[in-house]
Amino acid sequence: MKPTSLIFFLLTMLPALLFSTGVTAREDNPALEIPGVDETDIRNSALAFVNTTTAPGLEGATLNVDNNERNSDQWRSSLGFSAEITLPNHIYNAYWGLAMVGGSLVDNLRFTGANGQPIHINLRRDIISLRGSLGLSFPLNEHFKLRPVITIATSDMLTKGTATGLLDDNGIPTVITGENRAQILSTTGTIDAIYWYWYDDYRLELSAHYNLAYTDSFSETEPILDTHAWSQTGQLKSRISGPTSLTLSGRPWRWQAYANHTNFITQKNSALGYTALFEIGGGIEWEINIKPLDWFGWQSIGISAGIITSRNVEGFNVGLTAR
Amino acid sequence: MIIRALFFTGLSLLLSSCVQPPVFKGEDYALVKSNYPVVTLNGVDIEKSYRLDLKAGKNSLVVVYNTYQYDYFCTFSWIAKAGTAYEITDQENRYPLTLYHWYRKNSLWTRKLSPMDPLECLRKPR
Repeated sequence: MKPTSLIFFLLTMLPALLFSTGVTAREDNPALEIPGVDETDIRNSALAFVNTTTAPGLEGATLNVDNNERNSDQWRSSLGFSAEITLPNHIYNAYWGLAMVGGSLVDNLRFTGANGQPIHINLRRDIISLRGSLGLSFPLNEHFKLRPVITIATSDMLTKGTATGLLDDNGIPTVITGENRAQILSTTGTIDAIYWYWYDDYRLELSAHYNLAYTDSFSETEPILDTHAWSQTGQLKSRISGPTSLTLSGRPWRWQAYANHTNFITQKNSALGYTALFEIGGGIEWEINIKPLDWFGWQSIGISAGIITSRNVEGFNVGLTAR
Repeated sequence: MIIRALFFTGLSLLLSSCVQPPVFKGEDYALVKSNYPVVTLNGVDIEKSYRLDLKAGKNSLVVVYNTYQYDYFCTFSWIAKAGTAYEITDQENRYPLTLYHWYRKNSLWTRKLSPMDPLECLRKPR
């Protein structure tokens, strides 16, 4: 059986496993050879994890991929804020944002080695990222605005893994562990198109977002992760909200329902087991209207829950929201 | 290292930017801060202004919200209370602009209370 989608994660770990434990090089041990895989696939899998965790516009999520070759769990979460600043004597406004993002991936891979032996790889990646955005907001009319934004994110990613079933020089199955670290700098150009409309007390919002990102990865412990790549992400979001009879401190609660589609346009399915996500959910939010430090406003805070689905992936998103 | 440096820089900026209390012209005055230019005050055209001291009592303002397709002339009319600060801003609400009672909760944050829609917003093509 030719390993396909599992190959990329395996190859991501194998160089680290070899370098860290002193096991003989791949070319001396046929059991470590995996046909049809190159270093590009290794890089793609690592950078796909970076992109699906830190790209601007992504909401928090917990995902599970489960198929014949892989069982993986991934989560991402972020805490941040953004605001528009009115520029006197200009129609356009300035836009800025800051966020801290975290994520993790646990991947359990199963495949057959070159000698027909079963091999299991357990891989864990953790990433933490600091992200800053600057842009402009162009209001076309009272319902529609366009917003180009530049985002720079700096991240630190740690990868640990264990491989069982690899054969040593005597053909005996052995266990190998490895670890590597990479620092990543991402520069993302984003175009947001946002439309909103009120009917009575009900609000509809539709938005489209496109990201073009250049990611540069630096690693002293893993040469294959000393690399760079471009990636594209597209999102379509819809949201409807309405009034409730609930109030707190004189300020109202509103219900909301949403449906979002995210497409990791340039990502191969073999990298993480998915290339697109669909999310639907709802929640309730309180019109708090505060401005921390009088810098940026939080119009509402609330809780929301949603389910995420796509081919071979299921997940959910439960958390606090602040708009 | 870079992440730590950025974090501490941001934290320093944060701690140094406390919310200042509003300054009123006198005991009988209210304050209006607007993100968009005020062009008419109590029926009289004025020079574009983003900050006005209003005598307490009934006041009306016309504030212009500019977009690339249209200009929206929004009229607010309300009874301004002495020693009270107000803010006019866009918040993607039902009308282009909304008037709030701006309230300094403490040195760390402010509140926007009692949102008020304009009486009307006249739309004029640019």
